[in-house]
Amino acid sequence: MKDNKERQEETTQIIIFKLGEEEFGVNILQVREIEKLDQGITRVPRAPHFVEGIINLRGEIIPIVDLRARFGLTLPELGLNSRVIIVEVGEAQVGMLVDAVVEVLRVPVSAIESAPTITKGVDSYFLAGVVNIDERLIVLLNLERTLSPEEEKELSEVELGDEL
Amino acid sequence: MDVSQYLNVFMDECQEHLQSLNQSLLVLEQEPDNMEILNAIFRAAHTLKGASATMGFNKMSNVTHAMEDVLSLLRQNELEVSAELINVLFAALDLLEVLAQGITEGREEDVETTGVIQSLQKFVAKELKSEPGPKTEPGQKSERRQSLELRYLPLEIEQIKSAVADGSNLNHLHVHLQEDCLLKGARAFMILRELETHGDIVRTIPTAKELEDEQFEDDFIIGILSKKPLEFLTRFLEKMLDVQKVEGEVNDPEALLVERRGDGAQAVASDVDQQKTSHTKATSNVSPTVRVDIRKLDELMNLVGEIVITRSRLEQLSWEQEDQNMVETVEQLSRLTMDLRDQVLKTRMVPVDHVFSRFPRLVRDLAKETRKEIQLEISGAETELDRTVIDEIADPLVHIIRNSVDHGIETPEVRTAAGKTLPGTVELKAYQAGNSVVIEIFDDGAGIDTRKIKAKAIERGIVTSEDIDNMDDDDIMNLIFLPGLSTSEKVTDISGRGVGMDVVKTQITNLGGIVEMSSVEGEGTKFTIRLPLTLAIIQTLIVQLGNDVFAIPSTLIDQTISVDKKDIKRLRGREVTVYRGEVLPLVRLQEFLEVKEAKNADLDELDVVVISNGERRVGFIVDTLVRQQDVVIKSLGTYLGNIPGIAGATILGNGKIALILDLRSVA
Repeated sequence: MKDNKERQEETTQIIIFKLGEEEFGVNILQVREIEKLDQGITRVPRAPHFVEGIINLRGEIIPIVDLRARFGLTLPELGLNSRVIIVEVGEAQVGMLVDAVVEVLRVPVSAIESAPTITKGVDSYFLAGVVNIDERLIVLLNLERTLSPEEEKELSEVELGDEL
Repeated sequence: MDVSQYLNVFMDECQEHLQSLNQSLLVLEQEPDNMEILNAIFRAAHTLKGASATMGFNKMSNVTHAMEDVLSLLRQNELEVSAELINVLFAALDLLEVLAQGITEGREEDVETTGVIQSLQKFVAKELKSEPGPKTEPGQKSERRQSLELRYLPLEIEQIKSAVADGSNLNHLHVHLQEDCLLKGARAFMILRELETHGDIVRTIPTAKELEDEQFEDDFIIGILSKKPLEFLTRFLEKMLDVQKVEGEVNDPEALLVERRGDGAQAVASDVDQQKTSHTKATSNVSPTVRVDIRKLDELMNLVGEIVITRSRLEQLSWEQEDQNMVETVEQLSRLTMDLRDQVLKTRMVPVDHVFSRFPRLVRDLAKETRKEIQLEISGAETELDRTVIDEIADPLVHIIRNSVDHGIETPEVRTAAGKTLPGTVELKAYQAGNSVVIEIFDDGAGIDTRKIKAKAIERGIVTSEDIDNMDDDDIMNLIFLPGLSTSEKVTDISGRGVGMDVVKTQITNLGGIVEMSSVEGEGTKFTIRLPLTLAIIQTLIVQLGNDVFAIPSTLIDQTISVDKKDIKRLRGREVTVYRGEVLPLVRLQEFLEVKEAKNADLDELDVVVISNGERRVGFIVDTLVRQQDVVIKSLGTYLGNIPGIAGATILGNGKIALILDLRSVA
């Protein structure tokens, strides 16, 4: 029984997770499920550095990406709260390794702003925007770019450029 | 009438007809007097004309109509088969393929057809010009009427006589269908079926099979024994849809014409019965088939794969239970599961002929282009391969054959000067050997000049002259599979477009296969391609390295051996051992797989898996050999799919993942 005013505000649901102490988010529509890391991750030799390995999810092989490695952040080891968020990107499914999953938050679309160049150590190339809510700064991920296998080179170019 | 739902069926049949037309035309070219082939060509064109007209594809219908006119004249011997005529017919076929392609892309109307149609009509016009006599029409009709007279075998006549004595009549019904009747074959079939309720059909002209295949114009004759009066039968038929008129007469069994020749005499009764029971359209091999969407087969394959895995998990559990009844039951389940798997795998198998069938035409065209005389011999076309492999193998095969024609077989002058026979021969052979299918392509052409390869390899910095000295001829020749070496000196139109042998090798390797080449200068060249029988489920050897297990496909394994630590020497910085008189380089698998906990560095006796990649052999040292196991290959997806040496992954019975290794690229 929402009243008219609320219904006019378009909202979207975000799954909020943590890398270290910083909060990040992905659109819930892209998330297939969230798993604990019960089984070990099978390593794949000479894989891209941000790919931890693969797991068996009910008969399917899913690659696991370590987002911290992807973004070049240095953070502590996996803990009890670590989770794998299985997302769908295009036709593929990928698992993202995160330090904790916080909550599902309904956010008005109007509250999403574009991200500044570097936010929380992450290049804006990977970001779909930021949300400012209740003094929390949540960084929304652009999954296609974050999880695309080719962007490595571009990324390092960008980093160099910044240093100059 | 909305025909879009029939589009898939139409396209499938269109492809079949075009392929058979191609093959038949090739035969006609060699045997211009072969009436049977000519008739087959005519029928295919006729069917295609009707089908495309029904679907509303007017351009295709017009082209086939023009072809039909020419073919008709050929059949009546009023036109002779000439090289020019054959070329025009081939051009028409090519145009039909373009049209078919256009249909799938929704732009059939854009294809330019007037040129070919005119060329075809020229032959017809020539004909009419040179023989301005009585029109062929009445002649045709009387011909037809003659051939429409029913003749019976002596045995049938006896049966008819006794039926007539019993009160039946032998009626000859000449049924004319409406001109605009679509699907005449189906209509004819229904007419026969309905009539059967009123009597016994003894014979029809044309035969029931030909009726179903629509090999008739608009009419046919039925000889039927019935107790019902002629009036009844004719009126019954005329009431049916699409029947224009029926002429009937009762025949005196004493006055029947006897069919003397044995050929073509088919008892209709059994014909119609056969059609009632097996109503599926027969393929040219006359074995009943069903068209199945390949995706359904893939899904089935997937499910079976999962069953296989679950079954092995069940097996492991049953052994742990130590309950004899359980173990036996599970064993039985295992047998059934493996049978099921084998049957499903078989459904995906397709004869290599699918791919081979287009090569005669290809070779013919290439030979003409290069002005060489080449004969293509194909054997083993019935050998079967997995459907996915068939699709992918066509490209590399085409490439190799083009090479044989372009660079292999010499021009007639060169051949005769060298004392070789004309025409040159290209042999294409396929056969099954164990778990693999082998395809050999051999040409008796100029062979490969190893000196040229040596020179080019050194020039391009691929090998040093020192390395070359250490290589034997076979090794040198297989250098052509390396990128950078395979572009030919002059880019000919046929095979030099920068797509080289390295691409061929990659394509074949991606299928899990091996390609080897051997050649004798001046005598010929042979390519041997070895492909796994199926892609999805493979037999592997499970090996242990550190805390991990890996699966190595059995087809890639040359053999497994045990090597003493003391027999390992160092040669140019690498570990090697001597095995059966040969120097075998060794690689510790953990170096390649970055496994830190490997134990084989400390062992005295080492398990070695010897892998051959066609050129040479390498022994990979593992910790232990665990067991042989069938596994389902799962792809690793976009991130990890391109790592050399890793072909995929599989889920073992205990739920753990084992990477599937393709060590040939590392060897």
